[in-house]
Amino acid sequence: MPAIVRVRDLHKSFTRGTERIDVLRDLTLDVGAGEFLALMGPSGSGKTTLLNLIAGLDTPTAGEISVGENVISEMSESELARWRTRHVGFVFQFYYLLPVLTAYENVELPLLLLPLTREQRRKQVETALDLVGLSNRTDHRPGQLSGGQQQRVGIARAMVTDPTLIVADEPTGDLDTKSADEVLTLMEILRAQLNKTIIMVTHDPKAAARAQRIMHLEKGQLARDTAAIGMAAGR
Amino acid sequence: MHGLPPEFGPVSLDSSMLLLAGYLLKGLVQVNLLGLVLGLLTLPVFFLVLYAAERAVGAVASATGSFPAKLLLIMFRGVRRSPLRSSLTYLALFVLTLVLCLIYAVLHLIGNATAEKEANFKAIVTHKTLIPSQMPPGYLATFRRLCLEELPPDMRPVNGEKDILSWSFVGGTTDKVNPRKDNTLFMFALEPDKVMSMMDGLDDLTGAEKEALAKGLELMGRNKQAIFVSPSRLRAMNLQVGQRVKLHGLNYKDLTGEFEVAGTLPDGKYEGVGFMNVQYLFQALEAYKRDTGAAHPMADKCVNLIWVKLPTKEAFERLAQMVNNPKHFGTVPIKLETASSGIGTWLAAFKDIFWGLKFILVPAMVGIMSLVVANAISISVRERRTEMAVLKVLGFQPRHVMALVLGEALLVGFLAGGMSSLLAWGLLGNFKFQIMFFGAFFVPLVALVYGPLLGMAVSFAGSLGPALSAKDVKVAEVFAKVA
Repeated sequence: MPAIVRVRDLHKSFTRGTERIDVLRDLTLDVGAGEFLALMGPSGSGKTTLLNLIAGLDTPTAGEISVGENVISEMSESELARWRTRHVGFVFQFYYLLPVLTAYENVELPLLLLPLTREQRRKQVETALDLVGLSNRTDHRPGQLSGGQQQRVGIARAMVTDPTLIVADEPTGDLDTKSADEVLTLMEILRAQLNKTIIMVTHDPKAAARAQRIMHLEKGQLARDTAAIGMAAGR
Repeated sequence: MHGLPPEFGPVSLDSSMLLLAGYLLKGLVQVNLLGLVLGLLTLPVFFLVLYAAERAVGAVASATGSFPAKLLLIMFRGVRRSPLRSSLTYLALFVLTLVLCLIYAVLHLIGNATAEKEANFKAIVTHKTLIPSQMPPGYLATFRRLCLEELPPDMRPVNGEKDILSWSFVGGTTDKVNPRKDNTLFMFALEPDKVMSMMDGLDDLTGAEKEALAKGLELMGRNKQAIFVSPSRLRAMNLQVGQRVKLHGLNYKDLTGEFEVAGTLPDGKYEGVGFMNVQYLFQALEAYKRDTGAAHPMADKCVNLIWVKLPTKEAFERLAQMVNNPKHFGTVPIKLETASSGIGTWLAAFKDIFWGLKFILVPAMVGIMSLVVANAISISVRERRTEMAVLKVLGFQPRHVMALVLGEALLVGFLAGGMSSLLAWGLLGNFKFQIMFFGAFFVPLVALVYGPLLGMAVSFAGSLGPALSAKDVKVAEVFAKVA
C-alpha cells in the first residue's frame, strides 16, 4: 500500500508562560492510501495535535508532513485553507454543524468554495446524503436531528468534496452504542468502497478495533503500532 | 434673542443659556424615550422584514447557487438566530439614528434659514445691540418712508406697503397674581392684512387652510380684539374658539387686554403662540397715557422687529446705508440685516450649544452606540468561535469569516437606520410643526439615505474589532479548548 500521508521527524511544542511543552517529539509515520488508522493514547499524549497537523489545521515546530504530492508543513494559512477544502474531510466529536443551516446546506458548505456548477453541487450533496442514509432529512436543521443523524450529516459533509483524506476526532465520543456502530460502519464503507484514507482519534478500544491499524501514542512519541484485526474479532 | 424667552423682557445671557440647555437636555431625554418606544413598536416589523429578505435571498441563493448569495443567507440567518441580541442592537441603532435624524433636521432647518437668497429676500430691522430688540414706534413710520419714498423706484419693495411688517411681542396671563405656563400667552402683535404674505410658513398655505386663515385675518382686521392662537396653546390654556379672555400684560405691565379667540392658527404653524392686531396694542398704550397722564414705560420700545421684502441685494445695501444714518434714526441705534443674517446673529448666542451638539453630543452618541454594538457582536463572536473555526476547517478564508461578522452587523445597522429615518421622515413630514419664526420643521428626504448609512457606519465601527478577532480565530486552539 503506497503511503499517502508521510510524517517525518515531526516536532511540536507549545509555550506556556516560560515553560516549553513538547507535545510531539521526532515522530515519523506513514499512512497508506485507503488505510483506516486509529490513533489511541492517554489524554495529553498528542493524538489530536498530530491529527490537526496532518489535516493542516496547525503548523509543526519542526519536521515535515506530506499528503499526496503536497508538503503541507510549508504552506501558508490561506494555502492550507484552500488545500483543506479539496483534500481533507473532517468529522468532529460534537459534529459542529451550523445550526442555522439545513442538513443539505451544511453538506453543501465546503462545495461552495469549489468551482462547481449548481447542478454538480446538488448531485454531490445528494450522493453524500444518500450514502449516509439521510436523503429524507435534507431540509432538517441540526436541532431537528438526533446525535447519530447529526454525525452522519457530519460524515456526509466530510466526504462531499471527495477528499484524499478523512480525519475524525473522537467521532463516536458523543454517541450511544447503536449510533456509534452506524458511524463506524459508515467509515468502513468509505474506506472499503470509496478507498478513502481515514485517520481517527479515539479513546474507545472497540471503535479503534474497527480500524485496520492502531497507533498508540505516549508522551508525544509512537509507543506501539499494531494491526487491529485481532481486536476487531473480539467485538 | 429677539424678545422670545418666556419672560418677555431683557434677560441675562447666562440664564437664557441655562434655560435652553435645560430644555435641550429634557428634549433629548424625551426624544430618546420616544425612540425607544418607537423602536419597540417597530421590532416586529424589523423581524418581518428580516424574514422576508431572508426568504428572498434564500430564493436567489438556491436559484443561482452563488457563493455571495449563500454567504448573505448565512448572515441573515445569523441575525435571526439570537433574537434578543439582535433586538437590542436594533434598538440602540434605531434610537441613535432617530436622534441624529432630528439633530440633522434642526441643523438643516437652521442652514436653510441662514442661507442667503439672491432676490426677493427678507430683511429685518432690529436694535443694534439690545437683546431683545426694542425700538420706538416712530421708527416704523420713518422706515416706511425710506422704503417707499426715498429708495430709488426700482429698489423699493415690489408690493409697496404690503411688504413691510412690524412685530411687537406681547405676553399676557389670565392670572395676574400667579402667572404660570398654563395661563400665559405669548403673541405677535402685527398687521393682519400682511400675515399671509409676510409670515414664513403661512405664505405657502393652500386650499381650505388658506381660506380659513384669510377669513379669520379679515375678521381680525375689523375686530381689533380678535386673536388667533395655536391649537396646542388653546388646549394648554383650556380655552375655546369664540371664548373671550382677559389677559394681564407681562411685559406691558399694568395693561390689560380683553380679547376674543376668533380662531386657531393652522396645525403645526407658530406652535404655542398667538397673533393679535397691533392696533389694539397701540390703542391700549394711548389709553394708558390718557388715563394716567404719562406714557407707558414700554411705549417707546413697543416695536421689536420690522420685516421688509426687498427686490435685490443692491436695494438691501442702499437701505442698510440709510438705516445706519443717525439722521434718520437718532434715538436708538438700529441695524438692517438680511433675514438669514438676522437669524444668524440671533443664533450666534447659541453657537456654543450648537457646537456642543455637533462636536460633543453627536460623536459621543455615535461612540456610545458603537460600543453597545461592539459589545453585542463581541458576545456573539465569543459564543460562535467554534463555528468560525469549523468554517475555517472547511476551507473558508479568514476574510470570509470576517465578512460574516461584519455582514450581520451591517444588516442590522441598515435595517435599523433605514426604518428609523423612514419613521422620522414620515412622522415629521405629517406633523409639520414649526419652531418660532423658522420655516416648517421637517426631516429632509436625504435622511432616508443618511439613516441607513449611519446605521451601517456605526455597526461597522462596532463590529470591526470583533470581526478582526473572528478572522484571527486559531482553529487548533479553539478545538483544544473544546476538548
